[in-house]
Amino acid sequence: MTSAQVLLSAILLGGLLLQAIVPGRRLVIVSSAAALACLVATLRGVSDTAKILAEVPWDVLVILVALGVVSEVLAQARAFDWLAVKVSDLSRGDARRLYLVLAVTMYVTSGLVNNLTALLLVLPMVLVLLRLMAPDRRYVRWTLGLLLVACNLGGAATPIGDFPAILMLSGGRLTFGRYLQFALPATAIAIVVLLGVVRFAVRPAEAVPRDPVTLRLTRAIVTALHRGLVVERSLAVPALGSLGLMLAAWSLLPARLGVSPALVCWLGGGLTLLMARRRGETIARAATQGEALLFLLSLFVMVGAVRSAGLFESVARALLAIPASPQVQLTLFLVLAGLLTGVFSAGPGMAALLDVADVLAKRLPPHAVYVGLALAVCAGSSLFLTAATSGPLAQALTEAADLRDAQGKKLRFGFREFVPVGLVSFAVIEGVALVYAWIFAR
Amino acid sequence: MSERPGPAIALPPTVHASFLVAATDLGMWSAARLFCRELSAEGGAPLVEALRDELGRDFPVLDGVAAAFGGGELQAPRAELLADALAGIDRLVVTGLEADALDALAAWLSLDVELAVLTGASALEPDWRAALTNYARPITRLPLGELQRWAGRRSALLTFLYGRDHAHAYVDSAWMRVHAPDVRVQFRALVGWNLLSQPLELYPRWLSQTALEDFSHVVGP
Repeated sequence: MTSAQVLLSAILLGGLLLQAIVPGRRLVIVSSAAALACLVATLRGVSDTAKILAEVPWDVLVILVALGVVSEVLAQARAFDWLAVKVSDLSRGDARRLYLVLAVTMYVTSGLVNNLTALLLVLPMVLVLLRLMAPDRRYVRWTLGLLLVACNLGGAATPIGDFPAILMLSGGRLTFGRYLQFALPATAIAIVVLLGVVRFAVRPAEAVPRDPVTLRLTRAIVTALHRGLVVERSLAVPALGSLGLMLAAWSLLPARLGVSPALVCWLGGGLTLLMARRRGETIARAATQGEALLFLLSLFVMVGAVRSAGLFESVARALLAIPASPQVQLTLFLVLAGLLTGVFSAGPGMAALLDVADVLAKRLPPHAVYVGLALAVCAGSSLFLTAATSGPLAQALTEAADLRDAQGKKLRFGFREFVPVGLVSFAVIEGVALVYAWIFAR
Repeated sequence: MSERPGPAIALPPTVHASFLVAATDLGMWSAARLFCRELSAEGGAPLVEALRDELGRDFPVLDGVAAAFGGGELQAPRAELLADALAGIDRLVVTGLEADALDALAAWLSLDVELAVLTGASALEPDWRAALTNYARPITRLPLGELQRWAGRRSALLTFLYGRDHAHAYVDSAWMRVHAPDVRVQFRALVGWNLLSQPLELYPRWLSQTALEDFSHVVGP
């Protein structure tokens, strides 16, 4: 390794580790590390700030902002509140149904809209249900844990569900339809297997009280809490219409037109805001997500600096030099991707690993590599509570909800509580990723 | 004398936690009404009486509602009683949450009157964002520190009373944080809307006692 490679990779890894250890200083750490990476790359003569910034995949940021706009409009239209009520209705206040209904709902929702927005608005209702059920620690752990993992799987199911998939779509590595064709069935199998394991092997709802009075009161309270909820159709219908148009354009527009996925998203986001009329401006400001954008920009800058030093090429060459078949090389890569994502979280993991995947995709069917990578990254982001952005958010909301069991003992949902859910989820999703890769990489 | 017959169905151990959830996000009085209705439908009057025995001391408003329910009284709140008190206003700030009463008020009050709820002041603070999704009309969430922005000669302040005698009433603690001598002159009307037909019989846990003379108008039983 050259000295530039050593220095720049130390800045990248150091910055990512530090932000995982001190999440309260996340933005300061990654933006400072990005500036330092630019300085080192310039002084070592491997690149300069202008070149590194020019390589930032701005289209990914455009897609994230535009999809954020659609999610925000749906949130303001109370569509997610409606969704929370539907989850409650379908579960009928029954602990045995709640976690299954919730996981399936969030899996579907996260494939289409920003899962953080959905989680932020659905989770309070889930926490109310949990408070009414007076569950035990085990039930809380598995219900909230599965909710987060279902969000991750939903995000990986479609090319617009979450950042890693968007990165592939924007880079032209896979078309919208091609990604959907392979990732959707694979993630659907993963969620079914995971729910099957939890339902029949873990059985978290066994000890939760289930008497007719509790069920009746739970249903009545939830109904009363949302007695007047009306979805604002004037906001929701145009937003869903825009999303439908975007999906159609991504699926049907021929590539020769040159209308990129980011442009489709930009136009769709603009249309959504225009149709929101006077509220469009407020929604645009709320949906900008400055924090997420600064984090991703810093990340892309650090990864770009490391790339300019040729490190990813070296790693890819080392991987290809392993005396094994391409399938085995891919297997090793996917296992490594899952574990690295568990430590560094999905965004950094994907941004750094995609360059290596590009090399593997020249020797193997691209979808086997890219969808396999998306699944492995999804497995990694489900390994620890801190590996996905939604984890700390769920932890904070749960803490504020002051959940208690039937004896009045406080119930927590933190890093330690999530570990069993994370291990089972990682095993299932990584297993699906490896089977998928083996089937399609032959 | 024979003992009172117990309910055929027992109260679940979760009932205390459930009531606290409902009381936080619906209000003590509205939650008590809901529990009386539902438990009466499930197990009849004995189950309501069991609820009163189990939770009455912790939640005196529930005790009051259950007592009245036993007597066959559970009438819908009548916002039109506020007509005189709120005449001529164009802004109304409500302190405390009672979902049943706020529903009636929001439906009755002219759309020309701006409506706000005071946030961050109650002992049991509801999820106001979720609570206000139930209303078709705009209702502003007004932090305690911004109350003065809504003051004026065409503004009124309203809170719910949980029983009263000739000189005192029980209120949500939010009222004690709001009411001061200067507030009296900053609002056209300070209105107490009494929801309980009888004074509380038990120690008024969760509530604060205040003088009826704090209010320019007291309506209700």
